[in-house]
Amino acid sequence: MTEGDTGSSLTTVPHPELGGEPSDWDLVAGRVTEYLRALGVSSARELQSLSEQVRHRLQTRLAAAEVEDPLVVAIEEVWGLLDDWLDRELGLAGDRDSLHATRATVLGGAVPNWTARFAGFTEGDLGGAIRAATVMAVPEPAALDMEPSPILLCCYGVRQRIAARLRRLVGGRASTSPHP
Amino acid sequence: MSSNQLRGGAGRHIRRTLYFSLVLLTTLGAMVLLILSFQEGGIRALELLLLVLYAILILWISASFWTATLGFLLLLRGRDPYAIASAGHEPAAEGAEPFRTALVMPVYNEDPTRVFAGLRAMHQSLMETGKQEGFEFFILSDTRDPDVWVQEELLWRQWALELGPTGRVFYRNRVENTSRKSGNLADFCRNWGGRYRYMIVLDADSIMSGETLVELVARMERNPDAGLIQVPPVPVNHSSLFARVLQFAGSLYGPMFAAGLSFWQLGTSNFWGHNAIIRVKPFADHCGLPRLPGSEPFGGDILSHDFVEAALLRRAGWHVWLAYDLGGSYEEVPPTLIDYAKRDRRWCQGNLQHSRLLLARGFKPLSRIHFAMGVMSYLASPLWLLFILIAGLAAYLQSLESPVYFFGYNLFPVWPESYAVEMTTVLIVTLAMLFLPKILALVLLAARPPLARRFGGLPRAGFSVLLESLLSVLLAPVLMLFQSKFVLAILLRQNVGWPTQRRGDHGTGLAEAIAAHAYQTLIGVTAGLIAYYQVPSFFPWFTPVLAGLILAVPVSMITSRTSFGRSARRLGLFLAAEETARPRVLQLLDQQLASPPGHPCRGGEGHDLWLRAVTDPCAYALHASLLSGEPPNRRRRHYLEGLIFQLQDEGAANLSAGEKRALIAHRDGLAELHQLLWAGPRAPIDTAKG
Repeated sequence: MTEGDTGSSLTTVPHPELGGEPSDWDLVAGRVTEYLRALGVSSARELQSLSEQVRHRLQTRLAAAEVEDPLVVAIEEVWGLLDDWLDRELGLAGDRDSLHATRATVLGGAVPNWTARFAGFTEGDLGGAIRAATVMAVPEPAALDMEPSPILLCCYGVRQRIAARLRRLVGGRASTSPHP
Repeated sequence: MSSNQLRGGAGRHIRRTLYFSLVLLTTLGAMVLLILSFQEGGIRALELLLLVLYAILILWISASFWTATLGFLLLLRGRDPYAIASAGHEPAAEGAEPFRTALVMPVYNEDPTRVFAGLRAMHQSLMETGKQEGFEFFILSDTRDPDVWVQEELLWRQWALELGPTGRVFYRNRVENTSRKSGNLADFCRNWGGRYRYMIVLDADSIMSGETLVELVARMERNPDAGLIQVPPVPVNHSSLFARVLQFAGSLYGPMFAAGLSFWQLGTSNFWGHNAIIRVKPFADHCGLPRLPGSEPFGGDILSHDFVEAALLRRAGWHVWLAYDLGGSYEEVPPTLIDYAKRDRRWCQGNLQHSRLLLARGFKPLSRIHFAMGVMSYLASPLWLLFILIAGLAAYLQSLESPVYFFGYNLFPVWPESYAVEMTTVLIVTLAMLFLPKILALVLLAARPPLARRFGGLPRAGFSVLLESLLSVLLAPVLMLFQSKFVLAILLRQNVGWPTQRRGDHGTGLAEAIAAHAYQTLIGVTAGLIAYYQVPSFFPWFTPVLAGLILAVPVSMITSRTSFGRSARRLGLFLAAEETARPRVLQLLDQQLASPPGHPCRGGEGHDLWLRAVTDPCAYALHASLLSGEPPNRRRRHYLEGLIFQLQDEGAANLSAGEKRALIAHRDGLAELHQLLWAGPRAPIDTAKG
């Protein structure tokens, strides 16, 4: 891999359309690149494309509402981008558990060349490969009832029982069960 | 009722009558000897107390002695027609429904590398049988330590990836570890129990061979009324002198005791907590454990759940067997005397709690005997201590009396009563019953030369037995004081907790040894001085006990050393059969431990593992995928926000393990923390490496 392949130039690419001096994107671009690298994206081309998509999403968020920290939102948008892509590939229909499982699958490196597809550079069905590589931590639930079996201890509460009987004998009124 | 069942029923009654008659007759015989030694003039109060204590203790020793002796005879004969190995019929192959068996390993803050190495070894062993179909592995984590938790996840993930999508290895970490191990198993049954016909319960240090796993399932299939089959585990794998002595003893004497237990317990055997197969449905139906009324230590959660579960299965009509003949079942023992005592401390509370169940309604008589034996295994120590103290006191009082040799019209002297007689009686009878099983084990070796070779040959095995006996004489008084202290603490209602075990080899340092044994040495020196000056006639009898106590610190340190253990091995001493001919599944474990697998997430290496689950997107995604999606409630959310501020302001070093766990226990909190750390002044991990 050459120096240019690392995508380090992205940190210096200004995006004046976000406004401000320096722009919000200038402040976050470097970290977004680092973050995408941490996700496993290493090609400069893919980094460029994905950063652009994140920038676009961030711009939309900033336009819609004021945010405290654009970088937090940018990181959030990286995940948003990933989730949208996984949803498109797999048709998860908002199933959060499946979404988390497939996130772990792709970020764990179990699906070759997923970053190219994520960045939009390859065609074809990657959903099958992701599904095949996804391991479920637990099987489908198959419940059994398991209630505590009563164990009647000998002599437990015997004093209370005797006292209750004596009270009944003396006072002639019913008492409550001595058991808690 | 079939003829087989009739035969089995009659055999069961004959065996139990024989066993209990032998135990009771031996006890009565020993008591008569003691009464005779009290001589004329009736029994004094102290003597009566001694007699009662001796009766209880000799009953306990006699039960163990006859178990070993009957086991010896059974092993010498070779085959037991009433054992589970011979019972049942092959199920019809046609129309048989497919079923699954879960190998469940409950873990609690154990070393994940060892846990997964063991599981992988068992999996490989199972694959080598070619009969792995239907087996699934389930790691039931109750781990609270955040670093261990994340490591478990990473190692599970790596293994699952290696096995591919058809690999049947599952992992879950419980949100709340209510009711400890029994609650962990119950949670498994409630959520996934319907998927399995059987579960094989393992401990974190359990190893079982593939052949044994397959045979266990086959035996359950042949015996539809069997609820549980326990395979006695043989201790293996440690190198310290202490552990090697235990491993030698377990390997040599263990099979004899297990055969003896099977002889008289048959279908009302016991559950030892792990290395056993259980029929899941009846277990779920009958073995849900209630909380005992009252507060801890005698009330609350049932700590030693295994005995109770076996008793509940029997109460419901299911049989519980001990497969003494089945090898391929291993466990690890505590590597040092102090670790052994710590384990005893945990078990002691659970076993004493069983005293409340002795007379509970509905249990089988033999289940009650299991409870009583469990209680006695710890109560014996304070009773022995009391016995020694009273014997010493009686000897002291005796020494104060001036003997009168001639009185009345007697021409011949009347010799004074001497407690030397009782002490001799006690020692000879007791020692004979304690040491005879060891000699019987050597006789078994003599009868089986190939087996003797696996113990290093008969002469070496004999010498090892001698050394092991001497060491056990030194250790017995130390354990007596430890256990007496534990029993006293529990009777004073002090909860002993449920700490994690230290399982790996490690030497005991001087400071640790002094902290643990100083009071024992002090008691030994004081008692020795009192005995020497006040009751000199008693002193020689007392020396074995005194020696153990006075030498407790050096013995504890020396026996903890792996160098001494290895030296003994080079000399051919304490050689266990599993050391000379390493079973295949243990070889597989060695291979796994020698080249531990990596894991899929390499980002943030060098950081604490829990922090990697927050910072490294790969570990974060994996961890989040294994959490419940349930959002934290409002109070919890505020608590998490506070922790996040604390982390930002003060750093991770000031967070407790519980706080770290809380931070990574909810998807929402984890996501927030992940984003905040990545939005900080510096990237939390070096992405050039990641």
